Amino acid sequence: MFDAEMTRHLAELSKIEFTADELEKMTADMTGIIALMDKVCGFDTSVKPYALDAVDYKELRSDSHEDSYDTEDIIRNADNVKNNSFVVPKVV
Amino acid sequence: MKLTEMRAELDAKNISAAELAQEYIKKIHDTDGKVNSYITVCADEAAAAAEHAQSLIDSGNSKPMTGIPVSIKDNICTKGIKTTCASHMLDDFVPVYNATVIEKLNSEGAVILGKTNMDEFAMGGSSQTSYFGGVKNPYDTSRVSGGSSGGAAASVSAGLCAAALGSDTGGSVRQPSAFCGVTGLKPTYGAVSRWGLIAFASSLDQIGVIANSAADTGYVLNCIYGQDKNDATSSARAQGNYTAKVGSDIKGLRIGLPKEFFGEGISDEVKTAVMNAAEYYKKLGCELVECSLPSLEYAVSAYYLISSAEAASNLSRFDGIKYGFRSGLGEDYNSLISSSRREGFGDEVKRRIMLGNYALCSGYYDAYYKNATMIRTQLRSEYAGIFEKCDVILTPTAPTAAYKIGEQENDPVKMYLADICTVTVNIAGLPGISTTCGYDKNNMPIGMSLVGRAFDEQTIIAVCDRFEQDFERKEARIR
Repeated sequence: MFDAEMTRHLAELSKIEFTADELEKMTADMTGIIALMDKVCGFDTSVKPYALDAVDYKELRSDSHEDSYDTEDIIRNADNVKNNSFVVPKVV
Repeated sequence: MKLTEMRAELDAKNISAAELAQEYIKKIHDTDGKVNSYITVCADEAAAAAEHAQSLIDSGNSKPMTGIPVSIKDNICTKGIKTTCASHMLDDFVPVYNATVIEKLNSEGAVILGKTNMDEFAMGGSSQTSYFGGVKNPYDTSRVSGGSSGGAAASVSAGLCAAALGSDTGGSVRQPSAFCGVTGLKPTYGAVSRWGLIAFASSLDQIGVIANSAADTGYVLNCIYGQDKNDATSSARAQGNYTAKVGSDIKGLRIGLPKEFFGEGISDEVKTAVMNAAEYYKKLGCELVECSLPSLEYAVSAYYLISSAEAASNLSRFDGIKYGFRSGLGEDYNSLISSSRREGFGDEVKRRIMLGNYALCSGYYDAYYKNATMIRTQLRSEYAGIFEKCDVILTPTAPTAAYKIGEQENDPVKMYLADICTVTVNIAGLPGISTTCGYDKNNMPIGMSLVGRAFDEQTIIAVCDRFEQDFERKEARIR
C-alpha cells in the first residue's frame, strides 16, 4: 500500500524536499504509478535464468593516468567556489 | 533535399557552406517561435563552423558531413555551448568537453545550428515538460511534437535543419519522428558512443538520428557510429556503411508482425495504416509472418522500473554543489541538496527518481526491480525467437497520432502506457527505425517502425527506404 509515509521515506532517499501540498500530490501520482508497476509482480519468474547486469561491457579502459580538464574550467559551472573548492554549509 | 544532394551542391559550389548555414539560421529566427524546437541557437558558432567547412571544400578535402547543418538535442554535451537537458537544474550549464558524437561531427566539418528542446532530462513522450516551454507540432501547433526528442523531430519537420541528433531510451527518437512526420533511427545499443550524453538510464540510452528519410539517417549514422574508449558499452560490431543496402531488392524478405502490437489500445487508424504498409511489402514479394511477443504485456512496467532505478542513481549527481542550480534556501548540507533538487527538477523527473528509489528499496527490490530484469531477459529471448523466422519486424510506432497539447501529458500513467510500441526495442538493445506510413483524419502523420537484428541497421534502413520511395509524404504546415 503506497501512502504519505512511503512518499516521505522515498523523498528522504531521493533527497528531494516537498511541501505538504506537493507531498499529497506526489502520493496520489505515485499510487497510480505503483499500481501500474504491480504488473511485473505477476510475471512467472520460474521460466528463465536472467542477467541482473544486462549491460555487455566490451572493453574497459586501462587504469592509467591521463591529462584531465583544467580546474578553472571544471569549477566554472559551480555556484559558490572559494580557493578552487566548492563552498557548502558547515557540516561539523 | 537529400543529404547526398546537399553534399553535391556544396562540393559543386552552387551554394557555400556559409550561405547554407545562414539560410537555416534565418529560417530558425523567422519560424521557430511557432514550434519552439530550439533552446539555444548558435549563430556565431555555426558561422565559424561553416567557414571551416568551406576551407575543407575549397581544398578538396570535404567529407560526407562537411557543411551539413544539423541540430543537437540539448542533453548531448557541446563544449562551450549551453547544455541544459531542458531543466532549471542545468539552465546555465556549459560543458567543458564535447560528446564523442560531437567530436565526430566536428571532425567532418558539420555545422551545428543549435541545441534542441526536449522533455526535461529526456523523461517524457510529449516534450511538454521542458523548463523552456513545450514543443509544438509543425503539422498542427495545437498538438504535441512527441518526445522526448520533440525539438529534434520538429526541427527536421519544420525544415530548421538538414538532420538532427536525438537520444532514445524508450522511444524518444522514434515516437516524436512519427508524430512530426519524419524518419527516426534508434541504432543498436552500443553502435554509437554515449560519452557526453547526459545519462538517464545507462543500459537503455542510445543516441539516434532524425532526418527527412531513412537514407539520410544512415548517412549521418555513418559519421557518428563506432567503438569509443570512453564508453565501455560501445561495440566494435558496429560495421558502418549504413546505406549500403539502399536500393537493393527486398523480394523474399520475411517481415514479422507480432500480433500483440495490433491489439487493444492501438487506434484503428494506426492499425490500418501499418497493415497497409505490410500489404505494400507483400506486393513487392516480401513474406508476412505472423509472430508473437507474449511478454509485451509486462514491458511498460519493466521498462519504467529499470529506467527509473537507473535514473535515480544517475541523477543523484545533481546536488546544487558541483554544478547546476543551487537553492538559496538550504541552511545545512542536506537541506541545501534537497531544496536545490526540489526547485531544480520538474514534477516528472521527481516522479521517476521516487519510483526508481521505490524499486530499489529494501523489501521491494525482489518484487519490482529483480522481476523487471527477468522480464528483460525474457523479452530478449522472445525477440531472438522471432528473428529465427523473420528478417525484420513491423509494428506501429505509437498507439495514436499526435494529440492535443494538454490532453494527456498531465496523466503519468496514461503517458507511460503510450510507450508500449517502442520500449521493448530498448529493453532488447535492438535497432529500430520509424517512418510515416499514413495520416489520420486530422491529417496528422502516423508512424510505423521496422525493428532489426542487433547491428543490422543496414537492412532496416533499406527496407524503410523502399517504402519511402513510393509513399507520398505531406509536408508540415510550418516548413
